[in-house]
This record gives sequence, C-alpha cells and structure tokens, in this order.
Amino acid sequence: MDPITFSIIRHRLFRVVEEAVITLKHVSGSAITNEGHDLMVSLYRADGSLLMGGVGFLHHLTSAAEACKAIIRRFEGNINEGDVYLLNDPYTAALHTSDIYLIAPIHHEGVRVAWSACFVHVYDIGAMNPGGFAPDAADIFSEGFSSPGLKLVDRYELRQDIWDTLLNMVRSPEMVALDLRSMIACNNVARERFLALIGKYGVETVDGACRTLIEQSEMLLRQRLRELPDGRWQSRQYLDVKGEISKVVLTMTKEDDRLIFDFTGSSPQSRHSLNCTRWASLGGLFAPLFPLLCYDITWNEGVIRPITMIAPEGSIVNCTRPAPVSVATVGAIQSVNNAACSTIGKMLAASEKYADEVTAVWHANHFAIFMFGRNQKGGDAIGILTETFAGAGGARSFGDGVDIGGEIPNPISRMANVETMEASFPIRYLFRRRMKDSGGPGRFRGGTGGELAIVPHDSPDGGLHYVISGKGSAFPMSDGISGGMAGALNDYVWVHAPGETHNADRFAQSLETVPGEKQPISWGVYPLQGEDALYVRWNGGGGLGDPLEREPDAVLRDLREGTVSEAAGSEIYGVVVQSGAVDALATERRRREMRAARLAVAAQ
Amino acid sequence: MKQRISETLEFRGEIGNCRICCGKCGHALAPAGTSWKPLAVLSVVQVGQLPGASSAVHPGVVFRQFCCPGCGALLDCETALPDDPFLDDIVAAPTGSK
Repeated sequence: MDPITFSIIRHRLFRVVEEAVITLKHVSGSAITNEGHDLMVSLYRADGSLLMGGVGFLHHLTSAAEACKAIIRRFEGNINEGDVYLLNDPYTAALHTSDIYLIAPIHHEGVRVAWSACFVHVYDIGAMNPGGFAPDAADIFSEGFSSPGLKLVDRYELRQDIWDTLLNMVRSPEMVALDLRSMIACNNVARERFLALIGKYGVETVDGACRTLIEQSEMLLRQRLRELPDGRWQSRQYLDVKGEISKVVLTMTKEDDRLIFDFTGSSPQSRHSLNCTRWASLGGLFAPLFPLLCYDITWNEGVIRPITMIAPEGSIVNCTRPAPVSVATVGAIQSVNNAACSTIGKMLAASEKYADEVTAVWHANHFAIFMFGRNQKGGDAIGILTETFAGAGGARSFGDGVDIGGEIPNPISRMANVETMEASFPIRYLFRRRMKDSGGPGRFRGGTGGELAIVPHDSPDGGLHYVISGKGSAFPMSDGISGGMAGALNDYVWVHAPGETHNADRFAQSLETVPGEKQPISWGVYPLQGEDALYVRWNGGGGLGDPLEREPDAVLRDLREGTVSEAAGSEIYGVVVQSGAVDALATERRRREMRAARLAVAAQ
Repeated sequence: MKQRISETLEFRGEIGNCRICCGKCGHALAPAGTSWKPLAVLSVVQVGQLPGASSAVHPGVVFRQFCCPGCGALLDCETALPDDPFLDDIVAAPTGSK
C-alpha cells in the first residue's frame, strides 16, 4: 500500500472515533458525560482486538477489547448486522457496573469487519446508592444491575423487553435511557463512517491498513523500549478506608523490548468497594502508558503485545467475585494508574534521549461525590461534583505542572461551570479556586489542585444528600520524582450546625469561616441540609527535583499568586522575601543551612 | 564515563566498574546495579507537619528524603509508613552498547 493512502486511512479512522465522540456528547444529557467527559469511544478489529483507541478515559481501551471478545465468545454464530450488545459486568470486562459498554459489530456485505465500542458512566445503575458508587456495598450484588453480555438491539430493532427491564431497575430511567441512546447513536455514527471509508478505498485496502497499523505500533513501541535503559522501578500507593489501609505495590521491569508490571506485594482484596478486577488493572496501567510512551504511536493491539502484567489473584488489583468494586475507578484502578505513571516517569528519567519527557504523577486522587435529591424545579437530580475531573498536572522535566491541569488517564477531562452545577442542583458555591500549597514542592512545582465549598440553596426539601467515596485524605498519592515531593492531600469536611442560622456568614470565603462543627468525612452518605456545608479540596500534582533548587523568583511569583504560602516558601523552598522582593544573599544562606541540616541527621 | 540514572543520580567510572553517584557533586554512593538508598542520608518528614496537610492525614505517614552525604542535595523522596521498605529502583549497569 502506498504510504499516502495508508496515512489517509489512519487519519480517517481517528476521525471516525472523533465524530462518534461528538455524537455521544450531543445526545447524552448528563453532566458527567458532557462536562466531565467520563466517556470513551474506540474501534476494534473483527476478532475484538484494539484497532484505534480514542480519547476519554483510557483505562477502558483494553477493557472494551475484552468486552468485544466476551461478546464474541457468548454470541458467535448469532452476531448480525445492526446488533448492539451491552456489557457491564466487572468480572467479565468492565471496570464497574456504572460504566456500561455498548458494543456494535460492523458488517460489510454480510461479513463482520470491525467493532465499535463506547461507554459512559450512566446516570444510575440501581445500586444501593444513587449514581452507582456504593461505598458501603458488601459485595457486587449491592452494586446494581450487572450483565456479562446481552443483545440490546437485534438487527436494528431495539429489544423492548430488555430495554424496559433495564430501565425498570434504575433511578431516573429517562436519563439512563438518554445515556443508552447516546451510545447507540455513537455506535451508529462509527459504523456509518467506517463503512464510508470502506466504500471509498475497498474492504481489502482498509483491512490491510488496519493490519499494518497494528504491526507498526508494535514495532514502534518495541523500538522505543529498546532505546530506554533496562532496569527495575518501584512504586507504592496507600489507600485508606475507615482506618483500614491497603497498598498497591508495583515493580516495573524493563528488559530489552518488553515491559513487565508486577503487582506482587499488593494487599489482599478489601471488604470495601475500592477493589478492582484483573481487566481493570490492565486498563489502569495502560492509561498512562498510552500517552507517556505512545504519544506518537497509534493506540492499538500492537502496543499491548510487548506488555505483561502480573496481578495476584485475590489481591486488591485482581479481586475475586463477589468482592465489591463500585469504587474501583477512583480506588484501586487509579492507584494502578498512579503507580504505573510513577515507574514510567522514573524509566524516562534514566534515559538521555527521553529525559525531557519525564513527569511526576498527575492528579492522583479522584473523589466520587454524587449528590441526590429533588432539585429546585421539583425534579429528581443525581449527579457528580465534576471537580473530580479538574485534576492537577504533575511537574515535568521542563516546567511546573499545570494548575488544575487535568489528568493523564483522560486527556479531555474537565469540570463543569459553577453555574451549570447550580442550575442542576439546589446548591450554591461559596467559593471554588486554586488550592494554596497543594502542588508538590520541587525544582519544578506540581500544578495546584483546588478547593470548594457548597451549601444548600433553594431546595424544596431543605437540601439534599450525597454519596462520598473519597480517598486520598490520609495519604498523599500524587508522587513526586527525583526528590520532588508529592502533591498535597485531598480533604473532605462536613460542616454542620443543626438548628442554628448564621445568615451573616453564608458567604464565607474559607473553611475556617464557615460556621459550625467541622467533621472530616470520606466514605458513606451525608446530608447537605439546612445550615450544612460541604468543603472539598483536591490534590495537586507531584513535584520534580529538589525544592531548594527552585528559582527564587518562581517562588516569589507563587507567593504573589497565592499558590504557595509564606510558610512553605520559607520552610520548604528556603526563600527569604524582604519588602516584596527576594533577598538573594539571605536565600542563599538559608538554603545552605537547610542542606547542612539534612546532613546533620547523619551525624546524630 | 557518565551515564544518567535519574534527574539527580548518574553512573560514573569505567564500564564494568562504575558506581552510582550524586549528579551534583559526584559523591559515590554505591556500586552500579545495587541499592543506593541505604547509603544516602535519610531525613524523615512528617506529612502532617507540612503546609497543605489535610484534616484527616494519617499520623504515621512520612516523606523519606534521601540526600547526598557529600553535598546535601536531595536525591529522591518517597511516601511511606515507617515499617515499609525503601522503594528499590535499579537501573542496569552500563554495558557500553546503549
């Protein structure tokens, strides 16, 4: 095949995915999809292997491939043109029950030539708590509807009995229906555009280009791995739920053109729902691998071949049924993301060629806070605080992390406007802004996270409730690199002042000035009623390098912008500021003393 | 020869007999292919005492800071509970082929 045709087909395949994503967003009506971009669309070969990974949450690319293969195993011989299949069982392929895969075969002249697959986090899945995250679920049976594969559309005809059954098991069925329809529309567009591509170039040419794309990706990744030094790098993540500590431990070994991710040493599966299944862990380690090692390589089956994962059965990263997993995406999966990001970053740092592509860990602590209740219009409302998608960039080898700069596993993540949230829920934001001292200190600072506080507002029921599955308030998780420190922790505080009114303080601008008793929370269901307030802050990215080597003027800029406190400027960065300017001599002296103090430890 | 290990560490010496050294001052820490952290100066910082700590920070969690015994440069930092082992990163010793 001539290289120009090959290149055009490659780009057209990417555009197929892009257009399908646009369709998904246009049809879906929930903030988590439209605003948070908690979605994914990809194309797969006829055998279910990954052909063209799209944007969105990248840990779904490999899991949806396994979902395609599971559908093939279950329905082979009865897979027809115009079918759409649903799968959301975490022990088959999905990450958790709320992330429903809709998978559609693409046929050309009666022959299956590809699959399209997509997911959204549906509005509700009928779990014990609204929104799908069920922090107190004892097993998967309390985490809502779960299917290892069913046919939702049969030869272009919606199976009404299945449809009605699904919607009979969930809250706000009209919104879940919209989610499902958005995914059907998405798959329809992917099929039409893929067939248009075949119509223009012929099925054999397109098939040949797809085969070559996978071979090319494998060759390019193996080539890149051979350029990197051999070695072994480790990472460790702590998760705390109600005082029980679990660990995700990773040893990544690079040998020639292969990478082995070994999670031996990780904790046994938890009784809490932060566990993840094997397929989820595999997706979790690929989420940072795709953008960090394959930013210029097509994300497909070829990238998967050089990678091996070892995940002990019965551990927190490969739990066994019926362990609960509804919090997996913000629990063990994200820790697998973080650990893989850390070890890959260290490997890049060991290479002369790739030393300028090093990054510390980005936004490591998602939090799932789903509000539920009646909104100010009297309708039912369920929805996530989308600030969890706002993220924070890790420091890079060439500069600071981006403040509230998203995350690596989802290149298009973002948060909703305050006004969008206030229009959808009976709440009012007291403030939402960058969080001081949240970026991990280093020669290059991690990007800041943020903080917010909300109160009930204009609610017909005096307020609403929320389900919180929040980790990261006990242990920092956005690891730094090469001496850089981790980004600050998350924090979740329920402020309650029953029976009191403090109207004068209903515009408080800090947690300290919100009236009432302040109680740290992280797990369960809580009220946002009457005089309650909810304060949330999310982590910054990890730092890179020794904070004592940060340019003093950069620290001064941080002080002026309010992203670093005077205490941190002095005690961590060793910068002395006098009359609004850096005192260079005093700073040099202070830093010398701080280095000497480090060595004094050895003399003790 | 010099060959990079990280932002702060490098191999120095002859192929087959090089050592892990501080990238800033050249202080030799350990033979290539072995663990260097036990030979660095370790200072332990309580996470809960740093600016930015949360209201729920675990009382035992610390940052371990591994510093060069020669110049005090900060070589690496890891989050840990007291009983957990050092994270052990080992870059293969240079062979001259890469």
